[in-house]
Amino acid sequence: MDQETVGIIIETLKEQNIDLVVTLPEEPTYPLTEQIRRDPFFTAITVAGENHGISLCAGASLGGRNCVFVTGIAGLLVGSWSLAQMGVLYGIPVFILASYRGDVSDRSGISGDQLNMFNQVGEPMLSALKIPYRIVEEKPKLKRKLVDAYGACRGFGSPLVLLLTGDVLW
Amino acid sequence: MVSRFDCLKLLAGWLDEHAITVTARGPNAREWAYLRPGGANFHSLNLGMCLSFALGLSLAYPRRQVIALDSDGSLLLDTSTLVTVAAVRPANLLALVMDNQSYADMGPTATASHADLESMARGAGIQRTGTVRSEDDFTRLVQPALREKELGFFVVKAEPGKARVEVDSRRLHGRAMKEAFVEALLRHPDHPKSQTRRDV
Repeated sequence: MDQETVGIIIETLKEQNIDLVVTLPEEPTYPLTEQIRRDPFFTAITVAGENHGISLCAGASLGGRNCVFVTGIAGLLVGSWSLAQMGVLYGIPVFILASYRGDVSDRSGISGDQLNMFNQVGEPMLSALKIPYRIVEEKPKLKRKLVDAYGACRGFGSPLVLLLTGDVLW
Repeated sequence: MVSRFDCLKLLAGWLDEHAITVTARGPNAREWAYLRPGGANFHSLNLGMCLSFALGLSLAYPRRQVIALDSDGSLLLDTSTLVTVAAVRPANLLALVMDNQSYADMGPTATASHADLESMARGAGIQRTGTVRSEDDFTRLVQPALREKELGFFVVKAEPGKARVEVDSRRLHGRAMKEAFVEALLRHPDHPKSQTRRDV
C-alpha cells in the first residue's frame, strides 16, 4: 500500500469521524496501520486474534463508537465465527477494510498454494455468511467507495467488507 | 466453591443504573437477566466473545462501568482476548468469569484439572486479578474493584448447577434482546450525540 492510498484512507476516516481502528498487523496494510498508530486522532488497538477483534468492534459500534477493523482475507477466515454471530445473528454494523490476499494481482510473494486458497474461499465465505462486500482496485474510486461503504454498513445493520486490491494495494 | 446466583445477587445490589453488562450464554445470562431486569444488558453471547464485546463497549463508554460476565468454557475458546484486554487496559472494565469447571452437563473444562484462568490473565498482563471461592472473597475482591475504577479480572469458582428462575427468552437472545439493549443505551444521557453514530 503506497503513501497516496494511505493518505486517502486516513483523510476519509477522519472525515467520517472514525477514530477507533482495530487491527492485527499484516504486511499489505501495515503502512496504513502504522501511520494510524502514530496519529493522535486515532485510538489504535492491536489485537491478538481477529475473532475477538471483530467482536470488540461490534461492541464499540453498537455502543455508538465509529470504528473500523483492518485485516486481510486470512483474518476474515479466522474471524468467521464472530462475523457469523455479529452479522447473521445480531445485525451489528462492523466496517472492515481487508487486503484481498490471493487476488490475481497479489505481489506479496507468499506461496501460490496459499494465495490460491485465499482466492478460492475468501469471497464464497463472505457470501455464505451473508456479509456484503465490494472489491476496490482503482485508486480514484477509493474515497467514494469508503464513504459509501461505511454508510451502507450502518444502514444495512451488518458487517461490510471492502476488499482492497489492484493499484489500491499493490 | 460458591453459589453463582448468590454472587450475582450481590453484584446486582452494587451496580447503579449506569452500568453496562454483557453475559456469555448459559446460566450466567438467565440468572443475571432475572436479577437485573432493567438497564443496559447484552445477553447470551456465544463462546469466545463476551469479554471482547465488553471491551468494545468500554471504549464506547469510558465513563460508564462495563461488566463482562463470562464463563470458563467461553473464555477458554479465545484466551488471546486476555492479551488484548491487558494491552488496552480500560479502567472501566471488570471481568467476572463464572468458572464452574464444566461445559454445562457435558463434562469438565480444562479448569477442572490443569488450567488456571487467573494465572493466565496475570500472565497476559492484567494486574488486578483474583480467584473467588466464597461470598466473603467476592465482596472483598469485587466490590473495591468496582469502586476504584481499575481494570479487574476475577475468576469465581462456581458450584455446578443453575438457579431455577423464569425469564422471557426474548430478553435473552437474538435481535429482540439487541434492540432492547440499544434502547437502554439510547435512554442514557451520555449516549454519543453525533448524528453519524445514531443509526445502529
